[in-house]
Amino acid sequence: MSASFTSKWSIVGRSLLGSLSNNLVGTVKTTHEVIPRSHYNSIFSQQQRTFIQMRTNLKVVDNSGAKRVMCIQALKGRRGARLGDTIIASVKEAQPRGKVKKGEVVYGVVVRAAMQRGRCDGSEIKFDDNAVVLVNKQGEPIGTRVFGPVPHELRKKKHLKILTLAEHIA
Amino acid sequence: MRLEKCWFCSSTIYPGHGIQFVRNDAKIFRFCRSKCHKNFKMKRNPRKVKWTKAYRRLHGKDMTQDSTFELERKRNRPERYDRNVAENTLKAIKKIDKIRVAREARHHSMRMKGKKAIEQQAAAKELEQSIHLVKAPAALQEDPSLTLPKIRVTVSRSQTEDAWKNNDNAGNPLTWWHRKLNSTLSYARLVY
Repeated sequence: MSASFTSKWSIVGRSLLGSLSNNLVGTVKTTHEVIPRSHYNSIFSQQQRTFIQMRTNLKVVDNSGAKRVMCIQALKGRRGARLGDTIIASVKEAQPRGKVKKGEVVYGVVVRAAMQRGRCDGSEIKFDDNAVVLVNKQGEPIGTRVFGPVPHELRKKKHLKILTLAEHIA
Repeated sequence: MRLEKCWFCSSTIYPGHGIQFVRNDAKIFRFCRSKCHKNFKMKRNPRKVKWTKAYRRLHGKDMTQDSTFELERKRNRPERYDRNVAENTLKAIKKIDKIRVAREARHHSMRMKGKKAIEQQAAAKELEQSIHLVKAPAALQEDPSLTLPKIRVTVSRSQTEDAWKNNDNAGNPLTWWHRKLNSTLSYARLVY
């Protein structure tokens, strides 16, 4: 709300706000509470869902031992990876005594992406989060289980093993 | 080929249309167009949005229980292909669709049955109560020449006679007001 205020008023307004900022801290909190919940949600939903690119954090949805990886390279595509693409990632969080350790560089297949992807019939599909299944260089999964839904497009990408391990196929 | 239903508005989604959102518990939400998708993202309840099928069903606007809906129901039993069965089904679809449309029309007409009478009643009441907006009551009373019986007679003599003959409710004060209103309006037209 304060952001829109500054954008409406020019530099003068900004300096005014700056001078009043100490007093405003208390009031800003109350105004945030005044904003209706629906409006609040729309602010967050306006965030652009984009490609999986360098520094994108992804959830690992297999039992390889890694919990969170960060993309360091998309293997295909100029603008980044999408649903079904393979990425190179570095393990940021890992469970103790897993197959992969923190700091390792691994390959992974994006099995869920929040950005929508066109399907072969022209409709689109999108998921709740960005999730990855770790694979080795030959494309075989490191873990032995896959959690949550995966898209059937993986069949086209020749990741049949992931599809057979998956709980749900969307 | 399967025709899905939109999660929000319950319209049919033909192949290649719309977007589907897969929640992490693998529930699939299909939307026919971006309008429905946006409404979902705004966390609107389709039962509270007036243009959706869910609202119309809930509020008795549409037919809900009917044997014609049985054909369109989703069945989880696979059917062995049979040419004769397929042919008969295609014939039946047309027939059942016709019946469904007719029943829906009947449902609509039943629902709208008393509407015209209510509307007319309301209009009559409004005319009775707010005639003073058109003509001041004091002016009507104090100067009968303002009501212009002369013009009323000249303009609408034949009409009134016809009306007397044809209309049963010509003696109704309501129709009398109508005529008076017409005459005053025509008088106004003459003046200006």
